[in-house]
Amino acid sequence: MMDLTKRQWVKHTIMHPFEGYEDLRWKKGGSLKYSFIIVVLLFVAQIAYDRLYGFQFYVSYDKIFNIIPYLVQSIILFATWVIGNWAISTLLDGEGTLKNICIFSAYALIPYIVQVFINVFLSHFLVRDEYIFMQAIQVIGTLWSIILMFMAIKTVHQFSVLKTIGDIILTIFAMVIILFLLVLLLSLFQQVYVFVYSVYTEIAYRLKV
Amino acid sequence: MHKRFKRLFTSVFTGMLTVSNMILPAFADEPYEVYNYDRWGEAIPSQAGYLAERSISGEDFDIEHFSSPNDIFKDDDNNFYLVDSGNNRIVVFDSEFSEVVNIYDTFTGLDGEPTTLSNPMGIFVDSANGYMYIADNKNSRVIKSDMNGNIEAEFTKPTSEVYSQDLTFLPQKVLVDSAGYVYVVVNNITSGAVMFDSTGEFVGFYGANKVKQTAEVISNYMWNLIATDEMRARRSKSVPVGFNNFDIDGQFIYTCTQSEDTDIVKKVNPAGDNLFEGLDVVWGDSTSNVDTDKTVAFTDIDISDNGYINCLDLTTNRVFQYDSECNLLFVVGTTAEQLGGFKQVSAVESMGANLYVVDSLKNTITIFEETEFGSIVHQATDLYNDGYYDEALDYWYEVLKYDGNYRKAYLGIASAKLNSGEYEESMKYAKLADAGSRYNRAFEGYRQDWIDSHFDLIIFVIVLLIAIWLVDVILKKKKNTTLFKMLVQAIKSKLAKRKGIKSS
Repeated sequence: MMDLTKRQWVKHTIMHPFEGYEDLRWKKGGSLKYSFIIVVLLFVAQIAYDRLYGFQFYVSYDKIFNIIPYLVQSIILFATWVIGNWAISTLLDGEGTLKNICIFSAYALIPYIVQVFINVFLSHFLVRDEYIFMQAIQVIGTLWSIILMFMAIKTVHQFSVLKTIGDIILTIFAMVIILFLLVLLLSLFQQVYVFVYSVYTEIAYRLKV
Repeated sequence: MHKRFKRLFTSVFTGMLTVSNMILPAFADEPYEVYNYDRWGEAIPSQAGYLAERSISGEDFDIEHFSSPNDIFKDDDNNFYLVDSGNNRIVVFDSEFSEVVNIYDTFTGLDGEPTTLSNPMGIFVDSANGYMYIADNKNSRVIKSDMNGNIEAEFTKPTSEVYSQDLTFLPQKVLVDSAGYVYVVVNNITSGAVMFDSTGEFVGFYGANKVKQTAEVISNYMWNLIATDEMRARRSKSVPVGFNNFDIDGQFIYTCTQSEDTDIVKKVNPAGDNLFEGLDVVWGDSTSNVDTDKTVAFTDIDISDNGYINCLDLTTNRVFQYDSECNLLFVVGTTAEQLGGFKQVSAVESMGANLYVVDSLKNTITIFEETEFGSIVHQATDLYNDGYYDEALDYWYEVLKYDGNYRKAYLGIASAKLNSGEYEESMKYAKLADAGSRYNRAFEGYRQDWIDSHFDLIIFVIVLLIAIWLVDVILKKKKNTTLFKMLVQAIKSKLAKRKGIKSS
């Protein structure tokens, strides 16, 4: 029973929001490779959302292209989610490993990503009056992803519903702290760099004069 | 190193300039870089719409040098009235500024005695009836005089209860509407212009600004609900910023206010409503501009004969010209010593294609003349705002020859093309103008056209898809296979056959 390939497991999981993850967990059908592909697709989706949208819906600021915000919005955000959730859930006696959290969360992103691609495609054929269709797709995709994400966390740690909610709230809190520390670290490194550079210019100047 | 290179570059460049100046005749150029704003509120280089032609000072006419002139007014006969505040006089020029027509410094009072002005700040001339109205600031009065200097009426501090008697009455600016009502902007009065009827009777206040809803204002309101009278008296009151200048165009009065972001420019109808309310316009320099993060402080506003709104900004010494729909057309002037630059602007006036800017520190009037580019933009804008999109089309193309970054031109072309049904062109230009809504409409038309012309194809594809689907259903029921599977099978067997041939 349930002899599915890794690819079929992805489909099975997202099509069965309520018991898919249990099956996946029981049969150990998750694949780290697919989860990485999904996160990369999320990254592509974020860029497509900002750059490839139909002109009638969204005029993007195309004077510059900076890839950092897209990276932060997709890969870094996902990584902090996984790490934050792992850190919190370990304290809350969750059963999920880092690998499993990564796989389960990534699978939950699929409806959202698909929704973005469908909308990017549709935005080239619809006009503003028909935006309601795109909005419907957007809402469905996002809600689906949220439900999946909830079930993913609940299943991977074998939590009750209330505990899952608490876990997610704490995870978001942890993410904020992680990101804050990251920014702090970055600015610290920048300061060090500026210091080293100014020492260098000082020496270079003295040598010249 | 960078700095040294820069210095070297500058010196070489200046050297080149001096040499070239010796060879080439000098030509008129502005002492600043002309710019305009794109859709993102970023300053981009543009062509000059106006060039400074010459500047006029008192010495050019062998009269005493101007001293902090504060207002200029053009009457219906195209005479210019300069309010020379420091010298307590009104100087009248002809339309070409070639001669002084008249100088008013003493007037005959109501009692027949001669009287003089004291720091006059504003003037309005009612050419039809032959009266001039002067805001005589330090004398706390507005005088209504005929053209021979005989005072006919004086408007002084109202005795009405509505006008708090603790307040001073120091008139700044004055104007008169067609019904004979006199509007006076008074120092430190925040409740609008003081309004008199033609007999000099106080009528009320007109066109007050609104209080900006800041957190402070809201908390003040909350506190006042629970505070005692004594506490209330001690608390600071939330008052709007009073407007500091105005101009009249037909029945509308345009006001300008030195305020942070509310009511900077208003178009007030006779009922006192602001018609520019809720308009999404960034007045003056946007904060992301190259050289300034100062707030805009419009000190004078002028409505030209064609309905353009010229706003004079005190902080940057620039004139911002808007069309009647509040789209920025040109930015003129800067802070500089040269011709075309100002130290402290005080008033702006326009006649035909010219702009006249008064500087109260340089004590000059600078005349700007419309360039060829400016004239084309104006013609195009006039036609466009009146709805003659097709007629404006050629002008817009002409504008783009001068300045390929002029956004309004792209908008104008997109609109014209949309009107004439050339949707693809319209889409192209709407895209260049970064105008999503116009693109939306053009695309809608384009899509409709496409569907109309490819209707057979669409029907054919739909029928084909339904047929495939039906075949699929039947196949699945009878042979437990699908077209797709069969196709894959066929390809596989063919490949295998070819492989077999190759290997044998």
